[in-house]
Amino acid sequence: MERAATGWIDRSQEDPALSGDGRLLAVISQIQGRPTVQLRGEDGSIRPVPQLRRHQPHSSPSLSWNGRYLALITQRGKRRLAVVLDRLNGRLHPLPLPGGRDPVRLSLAPDARRLALQVADQGQWRVELLDLSELLEPDRAAGQALTTPPLESSR
Amino acid sequence: MTPTASLLLLLSLLLLGCSGPRPTPLPDFNGLLRQNASSRRDPALAQRWLASLTLRGGRERVDLVDLGSRQPVPLPGLNRADAQPISVSVSADGTRLAVVQQRDERTELVLYRRNVGTVQRLPLEPPGVPRAVSLNADGRRLAVQVSRGGRWEVDLIRLP
Repeated sequence: MERAATGWIDRSQEDPALSGDGRLLAVISQIQGRPTVQLRGEDGSIRPVPQLRRHQPHSSPSLSWNGRYLALITQRGKRRLAVVLDRLNGRLHPLPLPGGRDPVRLSLAPDARRLALQVADQGQWRVELLDLSELLEPDRAAGQALTTPPLESSR
Repeated sequence: MTPTASLLLLLSLLLLGCSGPRPTPLPDFNGLLRQNASSRRDPALAQRWLASLTLRGGRERVDLVDLGSRQPVPLPGLNRADAQPISVSVSADGTRLAVVQQRDERTELVLYRRNVGTVQRLPLEPPGVPRAVSLNADGRRLAVQVSRGGRWEVDLIRLP
C-alpha cells in the first residue's frame, strides 16, 4: 500500500469522495464555520467550484468518473436539496424529490446515469434510485465504448 | 369541458413542456430495494452495483445488489456476527468493497475482495479511528476519513 504524502490535507476534512478515475477528491471542510464542499486535484491543489459557494451546509459529495459531475446535498431555506453540478458548463441541476422529502445521503454512479438517494420513509431509512440519463450526458472512462452494453444479456 | 378547465389543461401542458428533462424514479428497482430490507442507508453506487447498509433481523450488515440481474449478491466472510458496519464503498466492477466496521470494541478499515472472499484489514498510519470511506472505480485508490487528535483528516491510500 502507498499513502499520500504528509501535508496533502491541511485542514479538517469529512465525507471524502473520489472521482471514478481517482484523480479528484471532494471533501466537506469547515470554511468560515460552514460545512462547504471542496474539490482537490491529485497534487492537492484546490479546484474552484464557485457555483457552490452558497446553500451551506453541504454534505454527501459524490463525483462522476472524470469528475465532470459533482453531486451533493445543499440547504435551501428549511429544506435539504440534492443538486448536481456540471463542471463542464457550470450548470447546477436541482433534484427535488417527489413528495417533498429531504435527502440524507447520495451516491452518483461513475457514468452519472443514475443517482442513489437515502431518504426517511415512515421512520425507516430507504434508498431510492433516480435515472438521470435524460438530464445529463454520460461521463465515461477514457477509452470506454460509446455504446453501453445492456445490463442483462438478451437473446 | 368548460372554458376554465380547458385553460387549466392548456397551462399544465405548457408548463410540462417548458420544464425540460427531469430525473426519473426507477419504481422497479426501488420496490426491490424496499422488499429486501426493513431499513437501508449509506448508498454507494458503482455502475451496475449498489452497496449499502441494511437492517435485517435486527442486525445491520453490508449489502450488495446487482442492478443488472436485480439480485442481492452473497458476500461470504464479510458480515461477521460480531461486526457492525459504519461505511461502505464499492469498485465499479463490484469485486472490491471497502468497509469501515466496528469489531471487538475497535473501529477498523477493511478491504473485501469478492472474487476470493477475503477480508484484509488496512492499518492506518499514523493510527486513527476511521469513519467514512470512498473507493475509486478500479478499486485501487481509497480515501478514508480518520479521526486523529480530535480532528477529522482524510487519508489517501493506493492499493495493489
